[in-house]
Amino acid sequence: MTLLRHILSKLGWYAAAFAAALALNFFLPRLLPGNPVDTLIGQALRGHASSDTKQRVYETYVREFGLDQNLWSQFLTYIGKTLQGDFGTSFSRYPSDVATMIGDALPWTIALQLPAVLLGWLIGNLVGAVAAYRRGGFDRGVYLSSLFLTAAPYYCLAVLLLYGLAVALPLFPTGGGWSFGNHPEWTAVFAVDAVSHWFLPFLSLLLVFIGGQAIGMRSMAVYEVDADYVRFAESFGLADRKIIGYIFRNGMLPQITGLALAIGTLVGGALLTEIVFSYPGIGTLLYDAILNKDYPVIQAVTLLVLIVVLVANFLVDVLYGLIDPRIRAAERGER
Amino acid sequence: MTLASLKHLSAHYATGADRFHALDDVAVDVQAGQILGVVGESGCGKSTMASVLSLNPGPSLRVTSGTLAIDGTDVDLTDPASHRPLRGGTVALLPQGALNALNPTRRVGAMAHDILAVGDKRITRAESLRRTAARLEALELPPRVLRAYPHQLSGGMRQRVVTALATLRNPRLLVADEPSSALDVSSQRLLVDLLRRLVSDGLVEGIVFITHDVALLSELADRIAVMYAGRVVEEAPAKDLVAAPRHPYARALLASVLVPEAGTRGRRLSGIPGAPPDLRVPIPGCPFAPRCGHAVDRCADQRPPRLVIGDRDDSCWRSAEFEEAANVG
Repeated sequence: MTLLRHILSKLGWYAAAFAAALALNFFLPRLLPGNPVDTLIGQALRGHASSDTKQRVYETYVREFGLDQNLWSQFLTYIGKTLQGDFGTSFSRYPSDVATMIGDALPWTIALQLPAVLLGWLIGNLVGAVAAYRRGGFDRGVYLSSLFLTAAPYYCLAVLLLYGLAVALPLFPTGGGWSFGNHPEWTAVFAVDAVSHWFLPFLSLLLVFIGGQAIGMRSMAVYEVDADYVRFAESFGLADRKIIGYIFRNGMLPQITGLALAIGTLVGGALLTEIVFSYPGIGTLLYDAILNKDYPVIQAVTLLVLIVVLVANFLVDVLYGLIDPRIRAAERGER
Repeated sequence: MTLASLKHLSAHYATGADRFHALDDVAVDVQAGQILGVVGESGCGKSTMASVLSLNPGPSLRVTSGTLAIDGTDVDLTDPASHRPLRGGTVALLPQGALNALNPTRRVGAMAHDILAVGDKRITRAESLRRTAARLEALELPPRVLRAYPHQLSGGMRQRVVTALATLRNPRLLVADEPSSALDVSSQRLLVDLLRRLVSDGLVEGIVFITHDVALLSELADRIAVMYAGRVVEEAPAKDLVAAPRHPYARALLASVLVPEAGTRGRRLSGIPGAPPDLRVPIPGCPFAPRCGHAVDRCADQRPPRLVIGDRDDSCWRSAEFEEAANVG
């Protein structure tokens, strides 16, 4: 019962954080200097219209987007619509629906990042724990290569991969989500095409993630390896696999936080990856939206990130208790 | 009957260019049904000996020679890879600092199953739990301990759980490496009674108990070995050693602690002058010679022989001379 109450009070805090973030989400893009309609008209009319026409088009757009109302009533509209699940129309790609634009981009981002994050977390942490336990040459090799993977600027790694596996040795296409002339549909031909485009950006993300997790886990596990319980377990001749399992479970707590953050920010898109590989995901969408001051799109994307980060953190809070019985006990007030 | 016999054990720690000679030709015997106490000051090599004897040498320790005869086999101590099958089943370790010896994220029952599964791959979980519950009961622990995580147990209970786990596979020999040093006096009492009972009930056949606490040993052990600078300098039945130590170091060690006995009240404590030798250079003679009030010339450069008289032995030139004189006369 106390556990349920604990979860409910946690939920309360998360709701408060969500409300605060929702407000910031509305006001922050509007603090950007400039006006989205100026950008839009500048592109649409290219100067060969009379200033009178320009003025009328300008006013139409301003009224259509609701920018003539004061900030407060815009905010109320935003809250009301958001709660109904309506994210409005894009400014820069008027009249596309923001929800549809995100719906089109999101599967690409998730398909790219979710496997990379989950697989990278698992492999990285296992490699880190094994390195800490085995010590010696294997440890040094893992540590140095992980350090290289995480410390090298990401775009260098991406460009190296691109050069090595797409240009010098043309195994994979150089960019895009699918080949020119093809279009998204549920056929085997398209699936093969999409996977071959997916592999390089996936690999680059996976490598970087493995590196970061391996370093983190190794430095946690180095302390665990010298713990009394490991020595005691060794004195029974327990298999290495079993002992690494002990170390893994005791060292993974901070790593779970890392996983939650990675999953949370995952939907925001891997901006650099998507740009280097011209991948049609949320990152590209957000990048274009910021350049065009497309408030509804920016807001919708950041709102999405916000919700996923909060949910992921909430799950981690609950998961912590499952992993470490001491935290569960403290939450129940045993101890 | 001799349960385990350790012979010619020499080992060093390699630290950069230096070699730290932690153990120098150590030999001890453990009799069946007995507790052998090993005592010595910090750095005398007693914990290193415990790690080798329990077949768990640390990664930086190089064992250069030594055999352990136990359970009808001769174990070559220089080859740690060959030890693994004997760990836990034939020889078990009761570690220093039992409070942290349990994995904080594993239930006691699950840990017990892991341990039993090393000896018998096909053992079922239910069978493991049944056997562990029986052992816990023998140590006056309720069966609910099986479902508990270490943090849910008191310090005394954890100590008993660690003891139960260490003896779970009925090892022939239990090596207890200062298990009492972190305990308060009443918990020490319980532990000592517990170890005695383990031997008298036949759950383990013999115990090597390592400590710096001479007073505790005089109560617990059947025989005591005194170590100094990586060597066993004297070994004798506990009563005889406490009453009449022969080796000058053993005498000095006993003179520096209070052993509760008649006449203790009026005794003055004396310390040992000087400091233990530097073990980075091999010592040709007796390591205690520089601090010894009775040292003669050859103590510094000739190794004193191990002199066995009846059921006790010591390694000192003076004892050897007395013996010679007695034999000639």
